[in-house]
Amino acid sequence: MDRRLALIACFVFGLLMFAQYFSRHPLARSVNLAILEYWQIIFAFTLLVGVASFFRNSLSAMRNRGERPYRMVGLAGLIAMPVLAIIWGIRADTPFMWMFENVQAPMQSTVFALLAFFVASASYRGFRARSLQAAILLGAAAIILLSRSQLGGAFSDVVTPVADWIRNYPSMSARRAILIGIGLGSLTTSLRVILGIERTWLGGKQ
Amino acid sequence: MKRIESRHWIFIGLFLLIAAVMLLGVELNINPSSETQKMYDYIENLPPGSTLMISFDHEASSLPEIRPVALAILRHAFSKGHKLVGLALFAEGTVIGYRLMDRVATEYGLEYGRDYAYLGFKPQYIAAILSMGESIQETFPEDYLGRSIDEIPLMNGIYNYDQIGGVISIADGSLTTHWMEYGAARYNVDILAGVTAAMVTTYDPYLASNQMQALVGGLRGAAEYERLTGRRGGGSRGMLAQTTSHLYVLLLILLGNIAFIRSRRKGNN
Repeated sequence: MDRRLALIACFVFGLLMFAQYFSRHPLARSVNLAILEYWQIIFAFTLLVGVASFFRNSLSAMRNRGERPYRMVGLAGLIAMPVLAIIWGIRADTPFMWMFENVQAPMQSTVFALLAFFVASASYRGFRARSLQAAILLGAAAIILLSRSQLGGAFSDVVTPVADWIRNYPSMSARRAILIGIGLGSLTTSLRVILGIERTWLGGKQ
Repeated sequence: MKRIESRHWIFIGLFLLIAAVMLLGVELNINPSSETQKMYDYIENLPPGSTLMISFDHEASSLPEIRPVALAILRHAFSKGHKLVGLALFAEGTVIGYRLMDRVATEYGLEYGRDYAYLGFKPQYIAAILSMGESIQETFPEDYLGRSIDEIPLMNGIYNYDQIGGVISIADGSLTTHWMEYGAARYNVDILAGVTAAMVTTYDPYLASNQMQALVGGLRGAAEYERLTGRRGGGSRGMLAQTTSHLYVLLLILLGNIAFIRSRRKGNN
């Protein structure tokens, strides 16, 4: 019975959201707004699942002495940030934002910047023209890289149009094919979920 | 002590090369691309006093690349006398967006609430984009500073996207796609974007089909925009490091392939 209720709710709301998309009637708009608000509330609850899971994993991983310091830092951050937010709020010039701007943001930027070093190392070790296809891919990547640089003069005049051609024809046609595939796949999956054919989202046995 | 491996020499080489070039302070001459020109023209041709929405849809990790893009666009929009309504659909973009808007507004002596406003963060971005299409006031009852939205003079008469000239999404991922799928497709609002270089090809199809009006891509896009506005900034400086590292990577690919071909020939012999 509980599974049937969920399936009925999914069917009704799926159909309702589909139908209201084509209507500008005030009733349809207010229903849309109300459902969107509930969507955001449900989303907030899903975050709790993530936090609980992180806690559980970190606590069990702390049994390993080598991992313990890192897990402790992770848990300290997870506990400290909400505490700061609850006491002083999350607006500008609060301790929460000070931590974000002076600890989290620089750390994230640093980790992201390290990618440049790994890409440099990988470019020497991994980007090999082992076959014709690999050589074409490597050539295209080199041209795109050069086009995102600025060497100036006649060199840029030659590289930029070639890079634009790669972006506008081979790259774009491949991407469009992927996008159309994703769109059709999403449509099919949505219909299967709304009509109750696809039931894996309910969990448990079929 | 551990032995220094070849990859360590590669790391040291990259660091020294970028540091040397940055210290030399070489100035690059950058020609604007057509997509950057479109963004400039869009903002330039809007009637003065138009309202633009700017959404900071990025994480802190991409800040070095995304900040010059955002600053160049903000400076241009404010200098043309446009009103800006800021918000963030990624939690991490919230304070970053506020600081950037506040900084540029201060440069131009603009007043919060009259010339610009910052709505703050709303979770669940698809719901937020759709919800603002119905009512911005109901989606954001308060601004980022905790003031009621009805008390902000700029927001008087702005109810949904119908009163917005266009939405500029400053993003490091695919969130701009949702602006096009839900904001543009459902509510017919113009979508423009400032994104990281890695995302440029993702948005090429949307730009070609006019689902996206304009695109400023990465440090190069920022440098091009700075050239158009005539004010050098982080984009132009960053391009120097980017060009150097790109050339370094290409050199390494070349050396790696020469070594690979030589070893293969030796193997055949």
